[in-house]
Amino acid sequence: MSMHIDEDQIEIIQEFVTESRDMIDQLEPAIIELGQNSDAETINAIFRLFHSMKGSAGFLEFDHLARVAHASENLLDLIRNNEIELVPNHVTLLCGACDFAKEALDMVESDFNDDAMVSAADEISENLHQAIEIAKGNDQAPGQEPNAQPEDPSEHTEEPPAKIIPEEPQNAFPAMEITEEMRLSFVQEGNELLQSAEQGLLSWGENPEDKELIGDIFRHIHSFKGNCGFFGFSHLEKLSHQMENILDRVKSGSRLAVENPADQLLASLDILQQGVNNIADGKDDHIEDLDRYVADLNTLVAPLLGDFLMEEGVAEQAIAAAVETQKKPVGEILVQQGTASPDQIQNALKKQQDKIEKTKAEAKPVARTKTPAKRQDIRVELGKLDSLINLIGELVIAENMLIHNPDLKGLELENFNKAGQHMSKLVRELQEMAMTIRMIPVSGLFRRMIRLVHDISVKAGKKVDLKLIGEETEIDKTVIETITDPLVHLLRNSLDHGLEPPDERLAAGKDEKGTVRLSARHEEGEVWVIIEDDGRGLNKEKILAKAIEKGIIEGDGSDLTEKQIHNLIFAPGFSTAAQITDISGRGVGMDVVKKNLEKIKGKIDVSSTPGQGSKITLRIPLTLAIIDGMIVRVGTTTCIVPTLSILEAFRPDMGQITITPDGEELARVRENFFPIIRLHDILGKQPDSKALPDGILIVLEYQENRFCLFIDEILGQQQTVIKGLSDFIGNVPGVSGCTILGDGGVSLILDVGTLVESANNKKYGLENEE
Amino acid sequence: MAEEATLTAVDNEDTQKDKYLTFHLAGEDYGIEIQFVIEIIGIQSITDVPDMPAFIRGVINLRGKVIPVMDVRARFGLEDREYDDRTCIIVVNIDGTEVGLVVDEVSEVADIPEANVEPAPRTSKNNDNSYIQGMGKINNDVKILLDVHKLLFSGEMQDIAATMEEQ
Repeated sequence: MSMHIDEDQIEIIQEFVTESRDMIDQLEPAIIELGQNSDAETINAIFRLFHSMKGSAGFLEFDHLARVAHASENLLDLIRNNEIELVPNHVTLLCGACDFAKEALDMVESDFNDDAMVSAADEISENLHQAIEIAKGNDQAPGQEPNAQPEDPSEHTEEPPAKIIPEEPQNAFPAMEITEEMRLSFVQEGNELLQSAEQGLLSWGENPEDKELIGDIFRHIHSFKGNCGFFGFSHLEKLSHQMENILDRVKSGSRLAVENPADQLLASLDILQQGVNNIADGKDDHIEDLDRYVADLNTLVAPLLGDFLMEEGVAEQAIAAAVETQKKPVGEILVQQGTASPDQIQNALKKQQDKIEKTKAEAKPVARTKTPAKRQDIRVELGKLDSLINLIGELVIAENMLIHNPDLKGLELENFNKAGQHMSKLVRELQEMAMTIRMIPVSGLFRRMIRLVHDISVKAGKKVDLKLIGEETEIDKTVIETITDPLVHLLRNSLDHGLEPPDERLAAGKDEKGTVRLSARHEEGEVWVIIEDDGRGLNKEKILAKAIEKGIIEGDGSDLTEKQIHNLIFAPGFSTAAQITDISGRGVGMDVVKKNLEKIKGKIDVSSTPGQGSKITLRIPLTLAIIDGMIVRVGTTTCIVPTLSILEAFRPDMGQITITPDGEELARVRENFFPIIRLHDILGKQPDSKALPDGILIVLEYQENRFCLFIDEILGQQQTVIKGLSDFIGNVPGVSGCTILGDGGVSLILDVGTLVESANNKKYGLENEE
Repeated sequence: MAEEATLTAVDNEDTQKDKYLTFHLAGEDYGIEIQFVIEIIGIQSITDVPDMPAFIRGVINLRGKVIPVMDVRARFGLEDREYDDRTCIIVVNIDGTEVGLVVDEVSEVADIPEANVEPAPRTSKNNDNSYIQGMGKINNDVKILLDVHKLLFSGEMQDIAATMEEQ
């Protein structure tokens, strides 16, 4: 373990952590698939995951991580070569390895080493080894090196190159399922890596002695190779692997056929870049004349044969002498060994020489006409982004205050107004842009659920098919964080309570395998995340009985609608599972789900058909920072009513108003009667007039409840930046936050959901006082 | 960075020690420790917030930040007085919470060494004394030194916090 860690290293480590996490997240689903269909491509992909993790971890001296990755890799390699049979236990072990890797990565991130993971690493690699032993039985594993001990930290990624890169033509493999998003991130990362490598090669060409540079280049190319391998871009992988080999030779100080191979490597780099661009365009990674390029690079590595000869027992001095005296060492050594005739060598060399020249001739123009990278990304710290967005929010307010400045009232300012309009437009564009920056696709969140569903279905003994729909839908990053836990809870509930065990399903005439659909889409200015299952559905009678037993509702519940009954499952302290399992059913889940959603101003709907399944819809606002609001006035106070909840507004006449015996006012709108809530009562303000026909009624809707809000006047509509009321004040019923208006004044944003409640409280309070 | 921050903190503590911002309220002089004071602004339009104790007058816009405003007269149960052009809002910050305090008039920053600060008198009716940190003497004048923390968080505000937690 290196004692001293400098800034650069920290950066490298952080990059390693992020990359590895991404890889694990992407691959976990694939590992689970292994259990179901172990096609060659999936196994290869997983193999490469562990392989690149091992490489990087080894390079950074995270020995325990490397050890586990190596053990997993061994197991997968045997499976891949059909030397052992895949059993479900292997999937579990690999999942365990993934978990370990995640934990180790957390540790690496905080402490920059994985020392504390010794015992866990021991256990997991031991398990993996046992699995290999058991599976192998009496099998003889020809490709297996005897020194595949996990404790060997010096194990280098490059040592068994022949094993890493399957030499069989990979084009034959069916394409692994690669989403557009994965493809994009591959292209981005590929571009980054290639560019870094290119810069490294260029400066290396000038400073051939710089060992650090080589290390950098090698790492870039190595990561690129890993990525290609993971995505199954075999052509790119083959070429970059070849480059990696050469760089490794250079790194370890071996001499090459050419003094400084930077030019040849650059030419290959260009070919790789072209391949990446092709992929970005949606084409495959096919490289024409791949074999030739690889062979060209091979000629650079030629002296390495000397090492092999040494292993074969040829005296070192002899080889050294050969290398020294001969310009063309390959042939010479081969001849010395007696495995090839001088003629053969001559012919081969001639061919190679021709090809090198051809490549050089062709590579040059490629370098000049190099197409630029398709898309550029940088990783930015979230804190910076947040303050940028806050600043833009402030800017919107400042712009409003400037344009609508009271000092300008009544002045004829044609030029100022023009400039002002231009500025408003820019500010609006800036704001929209800022909002999109924070949006990320839900696919990451959804994919995490695959593992969860797998684990639960195994535990609960149910067969589940999880379908993900609309993964590309984008949601604010903080929203994604907030709905992660709710989603986990809901899925658990669906699987545990909703879906029936296989025999019960068969008895009900359904497919033995249950289906859970997780989908996301944009709807009505919101994002809807929907969880559907085709299980037994919610049991109304059971819910009612439980609610009455727990004292959540009063009476026998016969006055409740189906929807209200379904919503009871979100009441605090409600849990209907007859038997509390370790998966769900502690009675804390569902109300936490609701609370989390309310935090982000989201809503939750449940619908269910007995025997057919249930559907839970999370309705989430697109952004947390801005709402469309109607500015309304009561007396001297202005408030904002979210436009989304407004159905209509009208000036009532007395004929429309009915007063019930207990003093409740109802307004008739066409065929419906809605209770009236007077905003001035809630705010404790003096309105212009208390007579309903003098003011305006706004019909508001919250979930299924509709009511009328009585106000003096509607002043206009505006996009408003939401600000929280101070913590010092805390939660105010009926108010969700505030905003700053164009004149610099603060205006409250009404919370339609709690308005009804607070109106009722007011009323009761008044009655009590009387 | 961290070192710098502590340095300035030490620095501030040194220069701010024993310094009090004094203000008038209903004929008496009060003082609060200067380290809590962010700035002093003139009175401006305050937006009402429903369901608040009477001494929370509402919220104001402080350069894009929304902060609550407490009327110190109302807090002490003194008679209300029309705001005029001498009325000030002292913005204080305690543990990251910014609150504006409405006072009749801000006087000056006074140096009151620890030796000149008497402990708060214990009276039979010592309800409101809980906000008093001590009595500061400058020559013949007496300034009532307020405990800003208690001013902000004790009494009714505590109840609000408690109900919030329950919710």
